[in-house]
Formats: sequence, C-alpha cells, structure tokens
Amino acid sequence: MGGTTEAAASGRIARRPLIRGRRRMIWADRNFAGLAILPTTLLMLLVFGIPLLFSAWLSLEAWSPDQTLFGGTFAGRANYQDLLTDPEFTGSLILTLEYTAAVVAAELGVGLGIALLLNIDLPWIGLFRTVLIVPMMITPVVAAFCWKLLLDPDHGVINYFIRQHIVWLGQPETALLSVAVVNIWQNAPYVAILLLAGLRSLPHEPVEAAQIDGASRLQMFWHITLPLLRPYLLVALLLRMIFEFRSFDNVYVMTSGGPANATLVLSMYTYLASFVRFDLSLGSAAAWMMMLISLLMCGCFILLVRRREAN
Amino acid sequence: MAALTPVGSSRRRRTEAFTVYAALIALTVVFLFPLVWIVGLSLKTRLQVFASPPLFLWRPTFENYAATLARADFGQAFVNSLLVSAGAVSLSLVVGVPAAYAMARFRFAGRNVLFFALLSMRMLPPIAVLIPMYVLFNAFGLTTTRTSVVLAYTTFSLPLVVWIMRGFFEDLPRELEESAWVDGASRLQAFVRVVLPLIKPGLVAACILCLQLAWNDFLFATVLTNNATRTLPVLMAAFSGGDTSTDWGGMTASGVLVILPVILFSFAAQRHLVAGLSSGAVKG
Repeated sequence: MGGTTEAAASGRIARRPLIRGRRRMIWADRNFAGLAILPTTLLMLLVFGIPLLFSAWLSLEAWSPDQTLFGGTFAGRANYQDLLTDPEFTGSLILTLEYTAAVVAAELGVGLGIALLLNIDLPWIGLFRTVLIVPMMITPVVAAFCWKLLLDPDHGVINYFIRQHIVWLGQPETALLSVAVVNIWQNAPYVAILLLAGLRSLPHEPVEAAQIDGASRLQMFWHITLPLLRPYLLVALLLRMIFEFRSFDNVYVMTSGGPANATLVLSMYTYLASFVRFDLSLGSAAAWMMMLISLLMCGCFILLVRRREAN
Repeated sequence: MAALTPVGSSRRRRTEAFTVYAALIALTVVFLFPLVWIVGLSLKTRLQVFASPPLFLWRPTFENYAATLARADFGQAFVNSLLVSAGAVSLSLVVGVPAAYAMARFRFAGRNVLFFALLSMRMLPPIAVLIPMYVLFNAFGLTTTRTSVVLAYTTFSLPLVVWIMRGFFEDLPRELEESAWVDGASRLQAFVRVVLPLIKPGLVAACILCLQLAWNDFLFATVLTNNATRTLPVLMAAFSGGDTSTDWGGMTASGVLVILPVILFSFAAQRHLVAGLSSGAVKG
C-alpha cells in the first residue's frame, strides 16, 4: 500500500509507474493462489515426484551403482518376482504386518487408558499431562539405545529387577517384544494426546442423561463415550498404523533385524538390500511394495478425513 | 464425556480420587523410569555403572558430560544437526506457508491433487524416497552434503507445515483480509501484513514440530551423510553399535544432551505444541 499512496501524493510525475504497478498488482492478485503454491509444487516435484518416478523406473531395471544413471538393463518384473519368491521378503512382510497390528493395538489400549485418566478433573492433573508426554519427545535412536542398556543381560536394570538372566535381544522370542516395547513406550503418550483432545470435545449431554438414568460407569464408557470417541480412535489407529509400518530406528539400533531375522521389518529389509548389499533396484522394488501397502492405509485415512470434513 | 462429574458421597469421591492418583503415579513411574535410570547412569563413574547390584544412591559425577562435550565429533554433529534442522524448517516455512494459505482460502485447479500429494508425501515410507534420492544425489555429487539432508527433510517437514498451517488459516475469520482488500491492499499485502501476524501461534507450532522431527531423524541422515556431516542421531547410533562399547556413562551422557534441547524447547512452547498436534492430526 505504501508505494501507491506515496506515488499519489507526489502527483503527476509518478503517474506512469503507479499505473504499471497497479497492473502488476492486479495480475498478481488474479493469480495469487497459483503463485502461492508454485514454490511448494516445485519443491515437491524435486524431492518427491522426480525421485518416485525414478525409483519406479529403477525397480524395473537391473541397475548397479557402478553403472551410469541410465546405464542399467531393462529387467521388467524380475525384481518383483525375486522379492515375492524370496522367503526372507515374504517373511518380513508378514512379520511387519503382525508387528504393526500388535504395536498399534497396544498403543491404542495404553493411550486410551492414559487419556481417560487425564480427562478426570482433579488438582495437579496438569502436571501428569505434562510429564507423561515426555517419552514422545525423545529421539527414537536415543530411546532405542537407552532400552538396549536397560535390557542388557549382564548389567541391565530390568534383569536385576526380575532376578533373571534373559538375553532379551539375543533370542527370537523376546527380541521382537523388546523392539516393540520401545515404540509403545514412545507413542502411547501421543495416542493419549490425540484421544484426550477428542474426549475434551465430546458433548456433555449424553453422559449427563445416562447418569440421570442410573447407568454405571462401565455402561457409560461402553455405550456412550466409546462410540462418540470412534472417529478419534480411527484417526489415531490409522496414523499409528502408517507410522509403525515404517519402523526402523528402534530395530536398527537394537537388533539390526536379527536374531535369525526375528525383527527384520520391511524398512530394515529394504535398507539392507539398498544400502548394505547395494542392490538398489531390488530395494526400489521392495520400497514400492511398501508404498502400495501404505497407500492403502493412506487412502483409508483420506476417506476418513473427507467424511469428517463433510459433516 | 468431558470431565466425569463425581456421583455419590464425598467419601466415595475421595476414594475415587485416590485411585486415580495411584494409577497416574504408577503410570508416571513406569513411563519415566527408563529415562530417569538413563540420566542416573550418565551421572555415574565407570565403576558405578557396572556395580552389582546396581547403585540407587551415589554422589553424582559430571565427568561423562565433560568428556562428551570435549569430544570433537560430538560438537561437529551438534552443529550439523542444528544446521540441517534449521535449514529444513526455514525452507519448509518459507515455501509451505503461502501454499497453506492458498489452500485454506482459494479454490484453484489442482487443489485436491496438491492436497493428496502432500498427504502421501507425509504418509509414504521415507525409505521409498530415500533410495532414488541417494542415487540421484550421488549422480549430482550432492551426497554426504548437508544440503542433501535439508532437501530430504523437506519430504516430511513441508507437508507438516502445510497441514498444520492450513488448519490455522481456516480458523481465522475471512473478514480480516476482506476488509484489507476493500481498503485497497493486494492479496500479498493482506497476507503479509494482516494474516501472518495473527497466525504466529500456528507458525510456532509448525516450527517446533518440524524441528523436533528433523532433529530426531535417523534414516535419511545415516544414508546421506559421512563422518564430517553426520547428525547427532547418526553419531549416537555409531556410539551404541557393536558389543564392544562399554562406555555407558559417555553414551548416556551424550544421549541426554541430544534429547535435552528438544524436551526443553517443547516444554517452553507446550501450549502451542498441543494445539499443533491436535490441529494437525485430529482436525484434519
């Protein structure tokens, strides 16, 4: 604005630039939305669009790092066929789905419990709200190695508490559990925050009506709170599924996928294929399989958001 | 079910409150014990760390912190972490905030496509982008540079910025800009002078959440950096790798130093943070 008023004040001399400036302003206004999204669109193409296209192409090639960028030979479905006939990959796929389901279920259960407790208005409750979300902020790599020390068979405090000598990360049965505990510990508070926001926004009336009708606490929770909370639970469920499906940091630090592939989740499999064995074509194919599964979950999420925005 | 209204006698109410507190304290102990124990380890000497049975009371020592802070690789990684996090967040804010505003206020062709693309950018597994990025960056001589890490980080921070800010812009009444437009301000002027100052809490929330994600990232950084450009999580993973590392005091001290900035920062802006978390993920 400053420019035009100054120009108007200085009279005729400034008239021509004023008109030109106006025109430019009108043009910019008319195309404002386009101009505003242009940088984002370009950056997205650069760091997302082009890499994904390239990775799709890479997954159909037999390419190795010593070749030039486009020097590989076309391999068609070979990489995908290799993956689907590789017991290590199919095992990893099943393991990841099971791991995701179990961890997300635990996170939702614990998170809902915490949210219900934090929703009760008592003095000092704010302190608990603050303290309980601390695990969520911890760098995942640091969290994982902290748990590695806690679970150490010889000097770990957990074995001291239970007076046993369990090699938590060294045997297949306990390794997956140990890796899962870290993520549950970190993300249950996050679920609690989401659900607490949901609980806070629920209407009072149904609960009050039920109270007058003499419903018990459990009945009210089961028949009123839980159904009303459903959309929030669904959002939390899908978000956590999408993010647990890609678990990597805790596995990398604690077990690197071992022992005997007991914790070889898909991210770890893809990482090992791409950046340890440097079979980037196979890695790309595995990554695309992961993406397809994530896209399915993501599609569900978008449907959910859309439906809520429509309401 | 906002706030259970206590029913029954005051005695029953008191038992109830007692149960709730007991449950909360138990939860707090379980959830904070790992962290407290780790901080404790970082304040022990090498002998105390491996004492059997474990020591629960001792005279704390700060030698591990002194040793960690004196390490050249730790300082270097700290600077790298700061640089790439700040770089990724500023880039995402500068690029993403106008886009979020446009998406919240204007209808334009491709709006839904942009929405979907941003969402998938955040939701798809990072390793899927990382593999082609690594190959392409390598071809252009960008791998092991901090620039490559900043670019990689925008894959999660840009969608987050747009997602959070869109929510905040939508909550802002339209009349504010409209009156500015009527007064002759251009769209850009109204955005910069009227809207942005009102949206500061949103900017803070977006900024903190992105900083936290960038600071905590391990996967991108471990592939795209070398010993000179590695960030703190990469260094931490190197510390804890291998069974030979017995310097638990040093490891835990550096771990605490890595998470301390995030925790302090988050507490300082907790109000904004919770608002951002819930607007970004729940409100849609």
